[in-house]
Amino acid sequence: MKTITFDVIKRNQIALEMDEVIPDNIYSWEAEDFDKYAVPVGNSRFPITDFFDITVEGTADSPAEVKMIFNGDCGRVKYIGNKMSAGEIIVNGDADLHVGAEMSGGAITVHGNCEAHAGREMTGGTLEIFGNTKEFTGASYIGEWRGMRGGKITVHGNAGKQCGECLVGGHIHVKGDCDILAGIHMRKGLIEIDGNVNRWPGGQMKNGNIIIRGRLGRLLEGFVEEGIVTNPVVNGIEFEGTFIQYKGDIALKGKGHLYIDAEKNRDKLSAWEDEDDEYISLGDNRLR
Amino acid sequence: MSYEPPITDYDEIVENCTCAFCGCNCDDLDYLVKNGHVVAVRHACRLGASKIMEDMDQRLIVPMVRGENGELEEVDWDTALDTAAEYIANSIRPVFYGWSETSTECMKEGIELGEYIGAVLDNQATICHGPSLQAVQNAGYPIQTLGEVKNRADMIVYSGSNAMNSHPRHMGRYSVFPRGYFRQRGRFDRTVVTMDPKFSDTAKMSDKWIGFEQNGDYGFYNAIRAVLKGKKLTQNVVSGIPAEDIYELVEEMKNAEFGVLFFGLGLTHTLSKQRNIDIAIKMVMDLNRFSKWGLTPMRGHFNVNGFNIFMAYETGFAFGVDFARGYTRYMLGETNTIDLLVRKEPDCFLVIAADPGAHFPNGANQHLADIPVIQIDIHWGPSTELADVVLPGSFIGVECAGTSYRMDGVPIYMKKAIDKPETCRDDEWIVRELKERVMKLREEPNVAPKYVPNPAAE
Amino acid sequence: MEYILKNGIVYDPANEVNGEKKDVYFKDGKIVEDVSADAKVLDVTDKIVMPAGVDTHAHVAGPKLVLGRLYRPEDSRRGVTQKTKNERGESGFSIPSCPTTGYRYSRMGYGTVCEAAMPPLEAKHTHEEICIIPNIDINPLTLFGNNWFILEMARENKIDEMAAFISAWLKITKGYGVKIVNPCGSEAWGWGMNVHGYDDKPPYFDVTSREVVRALAKANEKLGLPHSIHIHPNDLGHPGNTNTTIETLDSLKDIVKSNSKAASVRDQIVHCTHMQFHSYTGTNWRDAGSGAEEVAKFLNHNKHVTGDIGQVTLDETTTMTADAPMEYDLYQLSGLKWVNADIECETAAGIIPCIYSPKTPVSTLQWAIGLELFLLTKNPWQINLTTDHPNAGPFTRYPRIISWLMSAPKRMSMIENEEVHNWAEKRTSLATLDREYDFYDIATITRASNAKVHGFTDRGNLSVGSNADIAVYDLEPNNFDPSKDPEAVEKAFSRAKYTIKDGQIMVQDGEIVSTKPSQVLWTNVKGMEDEEKAVLDQVMPFFTQYYSVKWENYKVHDHFLSNPIRVDIEMEGK
Repeated sequence: MKTITFDVIKRNQIALEMDEVIPDNIYSWEAEDFDKYAVPVGNSRFPITDFFDITVEGTADSPAEVKMIFNGDCGRVKYIGNKMSAGEIIVNGDADLHVGAEMSGGAITVHGNCEAHAGREMTGGTLEIFGNTKEFTGASYIGEWRGMRGGKITVHGNAGKQCGECLVGGHIHVKGDCDILAGIHMRKGLIEIDGNVNRWPGGQMKNGNIIIRGRLGRLLEGFVEEGIVTNPVVNGIEFEGTFIQYKGDIALKGKGHLYIDAEKNRDKLSAWEDEDDEYISLGDNRLR
Repeated sequence: MSYEPPITDYDEIVENCTCAFCGCNCDDLDYLVKNGHVVAVRHACRLGASKIMEDMDQRLIVPMVRGENGELEEVDWDTALDTAAEYIANSIRPVFYGWSETSTECMKEGIELGEYIGAVLDNQATICHGPSLQAVQNAGYPIQTLGEVKNRADMIVYSGSNAMNSHPRHMGRYSVFPRGYFRQRGRFDRTVVTMDPKFSDTAKMSDKWIGFEQNGDYGFYNAIRAVLKGKKLTQNVVSGIPAEDIYELVEEMKNAEFGVLFFGLGLTHTLSKQRNIDIAIKMVMDLNRFSKWGLTPMRGHFNVNGFNIFMAYETGFAFGVDFARGYTRYMLGETNTIDLLVRKEPDCFLVIAADPGAHFPNGANQHLADIPVIQIDIHWGPSTELADVVLPGSFIGVECAGTSYRMDGVPIYMKKAIDKPETCRDDEWIVRELKERVMKLREEPNVAPKYVPNPAAE
Repeated sequence: MEYILKNGIVYDPANEVNGEKKDVYFKDGKIVEDVSADAKVLDVTDKIVMPAGVDTHAHVAGPKLVLGRLYRPEDSRRGVTQKTKNERGESGFSIPSCPTTGYRYSRMGYGTVCEAAMPPLEAKHTHEEICIIPNIDINPLTLFGNNWFILEMARENKIDEMAAFISAWLKITKGYGVKIVNPCGSEAWGWGMNVHGYDDKPPYFDVTSREVVRALAKANEKLGLPHSIHIHPNDLGHPGNTNTTIETLDSLKDIVKSNSKAASVRDQIVHCTHMQFHSYTGTNWRDAGSGAEEVAKFLNHNKHVTGDIGQVTLDETTTMTADAPMEYDLYQLSGLKWVNADIECETAAGIIPCIYSPKTPVSTLQWAIGLELFLLTKNPWQINLTTDHPNAGPFTRYPRIISWLMSAPKRMSMIENEEVHNWAEKRTSLATLDREYDFYDIATITRASNAKVHGFTDRGNLSVGSNADIAVYDLEPNNFDPSKDPEAVEKAFSRAKYTIKDGQIMVQDGEIVSTKPSQVLWTNVKGMEDEEKAVLDQVMPFFTQYYSVKWENYKVHDHFLSNPIRVDIEMEGK
């Protein structure tokens, strides 16, 4: 086991690009290798030791035995864990764009906020963000219609717009709120949102599942109400509670499912009317 | 508008000039030239004519460099170019922004400089039709040339675009009014629909106005798609439009022989941004099952499309291309000008044929005030106030020739009609000079050495 | 500068040189008889020496290509490389950027590429891109098959007028020859329709595809252009289209080939492009089968036809063609992002990403049909190796196709090991074909025949006086069995040992060592000035009324041509 600790000395205004410093590349590096290494910054490279105080402890024969710890504000350090296949990265602070983008294995934990594109096109591994993150969490590269394929992203805070865009596999769990168009163009996989969603989840989705435990603002016309379900089993996971089940997006002959909490979204039910505020009406819609 | 008598006092007429204003690139303009100045323009719209005729108004004539007292001082070309080249050569994260009002010939020099130094090249798409391009990249692009619209279209839809004000000749020359081969009665053979929260001048010219609510675009188009698939709407009103109106509109769109959707910034810059265009494109694709439909973004500047096309064939990416690492990168939110400026990353900013001072958000402009800004332009503008070096260029399509691409991708060679002011230079020349001077200052081009991932393993 | 390529094993089918060990001399960009003692010696002992490759049909520059690049950044991202001292950064896999296109062709030992579809209205754009592509010469073919003027002239059977029109339009667009794509079909697409078969008419135009093609072939021969008509027949990609293909080619049998000097280089009066896409039997994709036998038989019996294959390479690629209705059909099938670009009064275009997976029956069938066509056509001078880049696969896969053609065991192992779907075996005769190409045949289908089809005399051969366009591959044919080691063949043809273009060494050991600007080849017909003027006067009122640009801004200005190669055609016996 090898632990490499990066203590931030200086926050550079121009972002550092750390796509080369991932366990797959550096598992055999010693302190002097880092002394020789220059990190890309803009159109130049600067010694990585200008920005981090690096300590290396232990040895490793494979990327899986590497643990990288970033201490301090990495709000200007891009591509942390980009394309990594094994090992562990812990960021004690904020992280910049592309945390865990295209990663295929290993684990990244960020104890802070992340910028956009976190976990973009990841195929495996786990990414846990304790703060908030911005747009395109677990999304695809622009133009690509096959986004995140596997692994799990957990966001303890809120996620930005178009979370899980073009998802084709894997699991995204947002414990806070989500902005508009979560799961747009989704084809497979699962997006779980514990908080509220303001508008239009699942736009143009073909397949896959979205679960919203909070309140949903606006639903698209492309979704057809199928009824009420209790404790549905989705992607092999049982979700406790009563949900309204929708199918969509029918504009694309979509077979995706959207589950929204029945209690918090009673106004969405076709049988629901203002005066008839009886919970009983839910029963009439129960899916058989 | 008061009556103005026709201009009769001129030396010569230069015919078939191309208008250097909006994405219509009208190429039928006649310039009346007297004493080396354009005194009148025939066929052009109000916007185009005034830009062409009043080109000497607030014209930048001589190169300037901001001195130590913070004022712009007139200098000779050598000093100005050397100062600018030095700024570029010493920069780590340079951004070259603009390009939409210059020729592709000038861009060619620009990309060489950008590749050499490792800059970000970006254009106005980043603040206008960038979302359209992103949507195109996600959903596709059923487009047609404007002549096709003129000859065939019997249904024209303007969405989030006020063509009457922004592209004044668009309706007259290409879409609504002209007599096309299959539309011999012009306007009478076409149905015009405007979709816009505002009852705009274009809406006033239209047969139908769909005033959906602000930010309601995505929901509205989704409802149209659902209806196209045969679904009965569950809500009585979608995005502020009654369901029966949607049914009626869909019926009309399905029955058109050849329909075209023109969309503008009203669609690209509401809440769901690129997804509005995304779903509009998908709607057009759905409509093609019933009849022939296409769409065209109403591009703003006359060569904003040209830059996207140029970058695509040079690098494979349309805008916001980052050469910093010696290879091309394109990533939304990372390599776009506004994002970079708001993150306060750039340390040198070259603005050519654009006016960030007037168009950028405050946060971005604040950073521009802190870093060296080099301006290549023909007119004084808010950006000049931010600039540290000002290099007066020349007016493409009037004072110098060059290629531009119309909003539908038709290339037009804009010809030269008059001579430029003596102290100004062609944009192409200026950028080439900058390139050569930068190459002298930073001899080792920015080629990162081949990176060995794992030296210990070898 | 003088050079000797020493001791190579030379394959030069144009001069019937088959694997002879000899030296090749060149000086100042041309191949010469002998050089002085100062000549620089390039030792290529026992290595393969061939003329530089000529691509008969590819899409490398133009508005379609740029739309493809514009809307597929995910494809551009796939081929990104770092810039070097000699090379700009590359990008793209199926639709590489312009500089990348030049580098990659050069690396494979190619020197000339035909850009197969140039819409006249956007010809300037094509030429702008050609200027950016380094290292290769490009001859663009102008699209005529759905031009309204042509449709009208064909209806009235005005061949003389049409010839004058073609002559004028080649000058205006700086085009090399006549390209026809889905005649009448792309016009019908203006209304969202297509034509079905060779005798169908588009709406409003009272003319059939047959009339248009025959008229264009006659006009082409009247002018005596170096290239014949270059046709992409109707019904591309539809099961059962073999009949249409054969009908189209058969209908041109009786047309008399011009005896002009330029036309005498070629044997054919029609070049049928990407024949693989036109050789399906059946009625739908469920019962589709191979029409390769029928088409190859037709080719074997008809010398007036040449063709290129459009071999499917089983990659994820981008399809783009002026056959827009077909692209819409593809969009209906795959649902992937679709581009359509209609061009007023002239043509249309469609683009869609396409995944040819060896696991799917249809892709496999297409793959097998292409190989069948290669193997069943007896005369290699009648067929050319193409992938219809990027439609059936990127041109960078040519070496792989060469390895398939040279190795029957390789093909069999793909079928037997189920690397491809079992339709290859069930629905085609591929598994029964054990023919293997030798290096001489490969040199024929990638160089000699291709040059002949396009009427080139100065390239595609190693004759004295020809351009010094030479490729050297790092294989020793005398101690090497390509049938047993297809991987080595692929590797060698992917990375030329030397690529020499106009006497300049471009590639050495698979790396770009120098670049030069490309040159465009275009055809200038002389002696038709009066007829051209008459036809221009005739079309001008229509042009002014219904085009959206002014006539003055329509033509390709000289500004867009850097160092063009003008092919002058003298009209004789007029």
